[in-house]
Amino acid sequence: MTKLILVLLPVMLLQHRISANATETSAQPPNTQSRPSQQPSITVQELAKRQAPALVGTGEEAKKNALAFIDWAGASTKSQDEIVRKMVAGARENPDIIMAFCDEAFAKQDVDHSRALVALSLIGEARSQAGMECMVKFARQPLPEKGTVVEGEIIERTNLAMLQAKAIDGLAYLRNEKADQFVVEAAAKNPSRIVRAEAIAAYLWNHNYDAKSREILKSVIRKDEVIFLDRLVKQADEPKESFNRKLAVYLKTHPEIMPPGPEKAEPQPKETVGRPPKF
Amino acid sequence: MKIFRILLAGLMLTFVFQSSVAQAVCNQSSASTADNDLWNTHGCWQAFFLWSYKAYDQRQSDWNNRGWNDACNANMEFPKHWNAAYLVTYGLQDANCCSWHGTTDYRKLGEAAGSNFHSGLYHDAGDGTSLFGGFTPHTFGADELTTYCPLYNATSANGNPGSRAGDFMHEGWHGWLHKYNWNNGSCGGHRCGTPGACTAKDACDYFYFHGVGAFAFGALYQTDGTANRFHSPNQVQVEFLCDVADYPKSWVPNSVRQAARSDADARAAARFINGPGYKCGNPRPW
Ligand SMILES: [Zn+2]
Repeated sequence: MTKLILVLLPVMLLQHRISANATETSAQPPNTQSRPSQQPSITVQELAKRQAPALVGTGEEAKKNALAFIDWAGASTKSQDEIVRKMVAGARENPDIIMAFCDEAFAKQDVDHSRALVALSLIGEARSQAGMECMVKFARQPLPEKGTVVEGEIIERTNLAMLQAKAIDGLAYLRNEKADQFVVEAAAKNPSRIVRAEAIAAYLWNHNYDAKSREILKSVIRKDEVIFLDRLVKQADEPKESFNRKLAVYLKTHPEIMPPGPEKAEPQPKETVGRPPKF
Repeated sequence: MKIFRILLAGLMLTFVFQSSVAQAVCNQSSASTADNDLWNTHGCWQAFFLWSYKAYDQRQSDWNNRGWNDACNANMEFPKHWNAAYLVTYGLQDANCCSWHGTTDYRKLGEAAGSNFHSGLYHDAGDGTSLFGGFTPHTFGADELTTYCPLYNATSANGNPGSRAGDFMHEGWHGWLHKYNWNNGSCGGHRCGTPGACTAKDACDYFYFHGVGAFAFGALYQTDGTANRFHSPNQVQVEFLCDVADYPKSWVPNSVRQAARSDADARAAARFINGPGYKCGNPRPW
């Protein structure tokens, strides 16, 4: 078979060359049958005027409203963040809405990753009892041991770990004892470094980085991950002066993380004319 | 006779090979919420893709069965690719106070034209599922930047415009390493194995920490040849993703920002020998 392929290779390459050259010379710009759209600046203004769907009701109505809200919230802009937060807080005591978010997170976790992420964020922001149960269930799902290996990692495993990290953000944001216990346990024992790292960051942030929280974490997390306690969080809107000061302290406290200097590669002269013909 | 039989078998094999390639495209039946939300901000702006296919040197022969003639079908790879290019071109705020790097850096890194950032390159897509992206230098002609199915499939955490564009940055930075002859490791331009705190395999880098404002916008390509002023591919990617998450233009949809942050944070925890790298934003759920 190998021999066959070797014999055929020139034929295949030749064919490939011919077809590639043929298409290259007849290349057309990309095309569409759709009608031209307006300037995005206008579209964006129109989108900003869209009203958020009401987050109310029970049973089927709650479900319909919750799904419409996820659509709207996923598309919402930074300036609408506060609207989202207020509306979700308003639905805190409506378990049908929270359960609809929860069902959607589970339903989409293997289908549409970014939608599951948005749904989990809403559950976390709601700070509700029903949401807590949902997030614990979500974060307890076993990570796949088999699947598609991408750059040495099982992609299905990484995908789920990233969503679990978001569920952990929500649990830490509850700021109650039971949820905190789960977060600390995840910081110590979740099999994914991605989830452990997020659990540490979320626990510290929600406890204002106080000394007691550091101690609690320090006593349980893996020794080789103690550095996560000092990991730099680049807070949104933090001015560079304060961030850079923290960075200097971080590097001084952890000289071991300074990387070695970069290395030059062996010089590889570009071939310009190829090898001479065989004599 | 024997040769003829072999040739015939060869032609058949070539045919089978070619048709299987033609069919084995990435998932073209859906797009992620983040892709769709960004898409709706332009609703298929044709003037843009008629510019961007040249700016990214995309060739019909590479994208024919990926939506070249169906460029407003958001489920296909070509539209998903230019959706990501759109985010790079218009989506960043370039906040002097706070962004890691500027649009001018990210554009030059991803776009095809040769510059201080890399030699000329062209973008194609591949059917592989074991890689996110690849950079292949060519002796003759432009270098090749390939993006693979996990960046196009909605099921994948990386199938969204931020992560796809993040890969333009990552692979573009391999172009930078190549242009200036830096050795970032012999396993596909990364350190081999799972060294230090890194959990990926043959895909690990060092993080070369630098302060905010250490590189003026446009100066990302600069280095002093020491660890104080240097970047690795995963690092440039994390910084870009954080800029999308934390300092986007006001209209960039939440789902795009969330997916970018999630990718940045996961990568910062898992891809660095001397990790963790920076974490962006804060852990508030919304
Ligand atoms: Zn940088």
